[in-house]
Amino acid sequence: MDHFKERSTRDYFQKKLYTMEELFKRENRCIYEEPAFCHAACPLGLDAKKLAFFIEKGAFSDARAMLEHITPFPMILAYGCDAPCEKACRMNEVGEGINIRGLERAAMYHGSPKGGKGLFKFKKKQKAAVFGSDLFSLFLAGELARKSYPTSFYVNQKDAISLLKDCAPFLLKDDLVNEAKKLENMDIKILYSSNLTKEFFESEKDNFDIIATSRSFLDMCFPNDIPNKETLLAPISNILSSQDSNPSVLQSIFDARRAGVSVDRISQGLDPASSRGEEGSRESRLYTNMNEAIPSNQIYEPENGYITKEAIEEASRCIQCKCEECIKHCVFLQDTGKYPKKLTREIFNNVDIIMGDHMMNKTINSCSLCGQCTVTCPNGYDMAEICLDARENMVSTTKMALAYHEFALLDMLFSNNEAFLSKPQVGYENCKYVFFPGCQAGAIAPDAVFKAYVDLSKRLDGGVGLINGCCGAIAKWAGRTAIYEECEEQLKNEINKLGNPLIIAACPTCKKTLEEMLKIEVKGIWDVLNEIGLPKGALEYDRPLIMHDSCSARGDSDMQASIRKLTNSLGCTLKDVPYNGDMSECCGYGGLVSYVNKELASKMAQSCTKDEDVPFISYCMACRDRFAREKRESMHVLELVYAAPAGNPPDISKKRKNRLSLKRKLLEEIWKEEVIVINPEYKIVISEDVAKILDERMILEEDVYSVIEAYHEDGSAVYDEIDGTLTSSLRKGNVTFWLKFKKDEPDVYIILGAYSHRMKVRVRYE
Amino acid sequence: MTDNKVYYTVETGDNLICQKCGIPLVKTEAVFEYLNNSFPVELPACPKCGFVYVPEDLALGKVLSVEKVLEDK
Repeated sequence: MDHFKERSTRDYFQKKLYTMEELFKRENRCIYEEPAFCHAACPLGLDAKKLAFFIEKGAFSDARAMLEHITPFPMILAYGCDAPCEKACRMNEVGEGINIRGLERAAMYHGSPKGGKGLFKFKKKQKAAVFGSDLFSLFLAGELARKSYPTSFYVNQKDAISLLKDCAPFLLKDDLVNEAKKLENMDIKILYSSNLTKEFFESEKDNFDIIATSRSFLDMCFPNDIPNKETLLAPISNILSSQDSNPSVLQSIFDARRAGVSVDRISQGLDPASSRGEEGSRESRLYTNMNEAIPSNQIYEPENGYITKEAIEEASRCIQCKCEECIKHCVFLQDTGKYPKKLTREIFNNVDIIMGDHMMNKTINSCSLCGQCTVTCPNGYDMAEICLDARENMVSTTKMALAYHEFALLDMLFSNNEAFLSKPQVGYENCKYVFFPGCQAGAIAPDAVFKAYVDLSKRLDGGVGLINGCCGAIAKWAGRTAIYEECEEQLKNEINKLGNPLIIAACPTCKKTLEEMLKIEVKGIWDVLNEIGLPKGALEYDRPLIMHDSCSARGDSDMQASIRKLTNSLGCTLKDVPYNGDMSECCGYGGLVSYVNKELASKMAQSCTKDEDVPFISYCMACRDRFAREKRESMHVLELVYAAPAGNPPDISKKRKNRLSLKRKLLEEIWKEEVIVINPEYKIVISEDVAKILDERMILEEDVYSVIEAYHEDGSAVYDEIDGTLTSSLRKGNVTFWLKFKKDEPDVYIILGAYSHRMKVRVRYE
Repeated sequence: MTDNKVYYTVETGDNLICQKCGIPLVKTEAVFEYLNNSFPVELPACPKCGFVYVPEDLALGKVLSVEKVLEDK
């Protein structure tokens, strides 16, 4: 099977990423959209968090508009409400909760009423009448007027002020006057000084389609006709009234709101009990990390309310409860600007697209698959699994461009072909152990690998074989199941040939991958070294270090403890940092991010090493390399154990050369095999500056040699008469490499520059 | 693909010579192909051996951006 055949944009395959049920189940774990606790506690659905947000910004008019949207008489609410929101405020846990009613009053005092006449509304055909005055009937009259029902309000009071005084005696004098004015300006026909008797009611009721009353009026006219708890409709008389005979202010307002919904349902000829939508307070599943909340007390509210400055100060105490636990330390999620639920839906939709732009492809391939979110999320949201599932789906439907992972996959195949080595210990046919250092160890610290193998084979009994190659993690991360399976077969064969020994891995990712792949226990070299002790000559390190735990050690407390035991025996003092252990961030190598999104991988490494001017120690060679590439002092624990510092991080070409040199050294010095190296007939000179360009552009020295080899054979090139340079090219696999060079003397090529493209080019009329 | 449509043209100076044939490159009708899509262009090429030259700024500019667009189709 050709793993590297370019796809066609004209292949129209599609496979669902998840069933809808599975998608909802996953999305439901993300609680980002859950309301704040104050918001959830309010039966009227007032978002007090947003109210505090507006006031903190000084937007009092916006805050007032929120209140006026919730209820026709916000001042009555602000003074009379028993405020379940304040009880639910999480700030109560560390000090005093927010004075939400104080903020509501401040919004009403300092905010301007909404200007303009609003939308022109047609009057509804059904006429409504409200008899009697209590808070329920007052608010319901207001609700009905807002819903454009021609409303008549029969009260026995002589004017609006006395009506409001009877309904809301707790209002201050000025507020009473203001609310009375508001009532009078409403589109309600108020019939003051009505003689509210049963006879009067009987004579009037037939003029109306909808009738509501105060609870005391209902009791007078229809004793024992108790309104339904949800619809507020009394079953015998069909009158809307308060369910409780002595309700609280909030209950009255909430009942009026629900009665308003019933009126809408009845006027449309629908069952008032069904399809009412979400009503009342609810439980919020939101998680708020209170560790970061600063304890504080309420700002004192004078009798006539907060002045703006005080209100802003009180509002700024609100911590704006939200759950961003996963986003806080995940550079990938920060970069997308999306929370997991939203991101999951966009990835799901992206996979679903058959034709057209797949805008999330790069995002799907930019997750480091490190699994930090599974630990930081209170519900264990697994974004890594979703991104990996999407990658596998894209590969299986030919939607995955090879460009993203081809370099890494070819590098993996290089590790498992040219640079691959599998040998039993000299003198053994079957081995008790096999050392598996991993592809990155050989690429970055070949000396440490060599010394480690020599040490293990000397100090462990029963024979120690060696398998130097890739564990398959690269294919797995790329979603290339077929390549992963080939790797599995290759490794199984080799392990079988060595007599099925116990694998000793030097890389946490190899350990994890091999355990999953081969379904056997794999031991870490750190465990072995803790058992047999340090080799002679191990470097002691007396400066403080920060341990960077590998993402593959997440959830593996034994591995984390074992590596600390080893560094302890080396004399290292580890500085405590909050984000290590299970919470460790990814260095940017995981999930092949460094191949797909270099800038993001850089940010990841910087995020791991921010604020700390202490060298890093790790037990994953990729972490060591990523930090060193970001100019941070970092080392792998094996560099200390085997006194083999690896120095500056190698570029992509040096990584390959190191692997080949290691193989050659092992074969020559341990297995005493002769290795024939064929040197080309010509010499190629690559300056440091050009080497940097090659590294940045992912062009290997091997590719440079291939272009020169082709030129050497064929002579095809363009000669520029102005600068005397030659430019030649070669199509190698899916990439065309271009090389700019000069020929200094016969058979010496000085490389001046290189570039590549994936498009094929040819003369049009061939 | 219509025959006379050309998406991009690179002007050929008289300084570029085909090293193999020893003759100047000339503006030639060429085609870029990627993921089963093709784009007619005009590039410097050797009229004798057909060697097509893709300059660095074209490869790292327009060509790269079109590649990226097609990869996400």
